[in-house]
Amino acid sequence: MTSDGRSEQRCESPSRICFSRAGILAGFAAGQALAAGVFTFGVAFGVLAAEAGLSSLEATLMSGVIYSGSAQLAVLQDWPGEPLILPAVVTILMMNARYLLYGAALRPWLAPLPPHQTYPALFFLGDGNWALSMKRYGANELDAGYVLGSGLPMYASWLVGTVLGHAAGSAIITLERFGLDFMLVAFSTALAIDFCKARADILPAVAALAVAILCNHVAPSGWTIVAAGLAGANVAFFLRRDTSNERQA
Amino acid sequence: MSVRPEFMLAVFAMGIASFACRTGGFLLMRFVPITPRVEAALRAMPLAVMIGIVAPVAAKGQLAELTGIVAVAVVMKIAGNDFLAALTGVAVVAIVRSAGRLVI
Repeated sequence: MTSDGRSEQRCESPSRICFSRAGILAGFAAGQALAAGVFTFGVAFGVLAAEAGLSSLEATLMSGVIYSGSAQLAVLQDWPGEPLILPAVVTILMMNARYLLYGAALRPWLAPLPPHQTYPALFFLGDGNWALSMKRYGANELDAGYVLGSGLPMYASWLVGTVLGHAAGSAIITLERFGLDFMLVAFSTALAIDFCKARADILPAVAALAVAILCNHVAPSGWTIVAAGLAGANVAFFLRRDTSNERQA
Repeated sequence: MSVRPEFMLAVFAMGIASFACRTGGFLLMRFVPITPRVEAALRAMPLAVMIGIVAPVAAKGQLAELTGIVAVAVVMKIAGNDFLAALTGVAVVAIVRSAGRLVI
């Protein structure tokens, strides 16, 4: 607590973990560059949501409540028919499983803070600002306001992008003619290329591909995604050497 | 401008799932050590799910879609920008489809 009682304004000591308005503002400024990319992704989602028959309010609600681009795109794959809640929830859990790692990595930084600071920071967490925040934490930034601050511009542009994309999508009637029905698959292909970085990614990907093609013939499309995700995860699990049980014989 | 009740239910169920992922790792770190194997499994999921979306479309074997997927992969490899790559793929699909109509 500073002498003038304005502890929310600035970190009391630069050597202790804290959560200040100055940190939020610094994060907000740093998050601007990421926001542009999220905005275009939001537009793409808005167009696809309109194509899938979602109303503008429904699309915005989905973006605001779920806030997960790749997961929402995956779920939309099921939407033209009856919304299947269980496959949709499982898809979200699998697409966002990486956030378990993000949260785990943020534990040392956020754990000393009260819940009203920790949970908003986690709600507004995205891939980009998590990476940005971990970089800053590695450089001895201790003001966790940075995590929340860098997430806010991304969330805002995700919502605005969704609204604008939906408006544009509704105006485009002959989607197939312009290839826009291919947008989801196009984005998924691009993200797959982006996710596939190391040699260790290849075998799980092959397993996912095999199971996806197999499952595609016997199950609804929502379950194809789930089956592919579980296949990839299982292969990655068993390919990884289990170092925890290694002992000198 | 309307929201279907079953849609509301689905979105909030998904919202809870999404928030559970964002907070789950943070909460579980108290009890469960993330072993290298668990970490590898979690890291492999997004790529596997993307494959689960693309594979059924590719398996249909339509010329426009297959050309589009190749175009996305090429642009992504060269430019490294997912939005640019996706837009290129969409454009390629539109062009191949209109070319198909001309031929027929």
